[in-house]
Amino acid sequence: MVKFYSSTYDYSYPFPAVTLAYFLRYPNPYSTHVLSTDTISRSFDPATQRLTTVRLHLKRSKLPSAVLKLLPRSLLGASAAGDSQSYILETSTVDVKEGVMHAESRNLEWTGVLSVVEKQTFRRPASPPDDQAFKSCEGAAEKHGFLEKGEAAGRTDVQSTVILLSRLGQWKKRRAAAGIHSEQDAAAAGKAVVEEEAEQPQKVGFFKSWSTASLQRSIELIGLKRARRSQPNAMEGMKVVLERMREGGLVGVLEGMRRDREMVTHGHHGAGFKKVENESGQAIEDLGDHHED
Amino acid sequence: MSASLAPECNGVKERYDSCFLKWYSEKFLRGNATTDECEPLFKQYKQCLGKALKSRGIDTMLEEAREDNRENDAQHLRGGCESLVHPAIPRESCVRILTII
Repeated sequence: MVKFYSSTYDYSYPFPAVTLAYFLRYPNPYSTHVLSTDTISRSFDPATQRLTTVRLHLKRSKLPSAVLKLLPRSLLGASAAGDSQSYILETSTVDVKEGVMHAESRNLEWTGVLSVVEKQTFRRPASPPDDQAFKSCEGAAEKHGFLEKGEAAGRTDVQSTVILLSRLGQWKKRRAAAGIHSEQDAAAAGKAVVEEEAEQPQKVGFFKSWSTASLQRSIELIGLKRARRSQPNAMEGMKVVLERMREGGLVGVLEGMRRDREMVTHGHHGAGFKKVENESGQAIEDLGDHHED
Repeated sequence: MSASLAPECNGVKERYDSCFLKWYSEKFLRGNATTDECEPLFKQYKQCLGKALKSRGIDTMLEEAREDNRENDAQHLRGGCESLVHPAIPRESCVRILTII
């Protein structure tokens, strides 16, 4: 089975600024769990004026306690508290002529347990007055970096879909299909061996009482809850970056990033950091049992 | 600027990122870009990062992710059709419906 979570919202900033903020969104005070961001490929097509970017993020994550309960510790490769790191691959295309940006993020590891794909579309509203806003924004950009308050400020519509799929217990089929035969091959394929173990109920007492389907469904539901809970933080993070851009232009954003990065690098000891952690880290990382909705 | 996963690449990454941001905001977003002016810097950054990705086994992971994506997406769509649209709707229409979503 598969689960979807869709939402639409908007940023009260013009499209060009939102696309720039997207590239500059880490680090921000709501993303202290993001350890690094690297661009691994980028291509610009002069004919279409489209820019395609692939980036790799490394995030510190805490496995939900509900998942920890479902999966035996031996399978997790995480610490007893469920602390782990995960790589996220992000692909985006900005079409500046059309005023559309498509972005997609997915986890690279543990895809057998749960694959999470987040697709976002940022769109410049289609009405003619916004074209006007776009042009005046362009003029303002020279003076203020990117943005200007008031009537020149535009709006960007966002559509976001998170798709969750657990393939726990289906590994053998995939493994055969992929032509992976030896344990070494499987080991090279990341967590393959671990995932295969997960489908052998005799080894794993936990699964005896669960059918594969219900286990998958549970894991997808936990992922869904997690996606719902983290989305407001992702939005707030973008807003912080956009606000910094409005106040201080590109320099303002970079200065903010530098401060946020120091917090990430120097750990959790600063007083200022603690405050942020309490306000936002909870929602980002405490993926425990309580419901918010 | 965000950190690189390979600390030894931070310097070259920062030079590339600065170049990119300038190009992106001053040329690309205004529709005035003709070439990616930061490509030489990106090559340097990529060279540094490439080594780090390889030594950490991430390059293999990325390749697999690319292969896996197709299968993954197909599965998402299959599941999506049943749960989102209706089992009786033909696959092609379903895919079309889902791409709109």
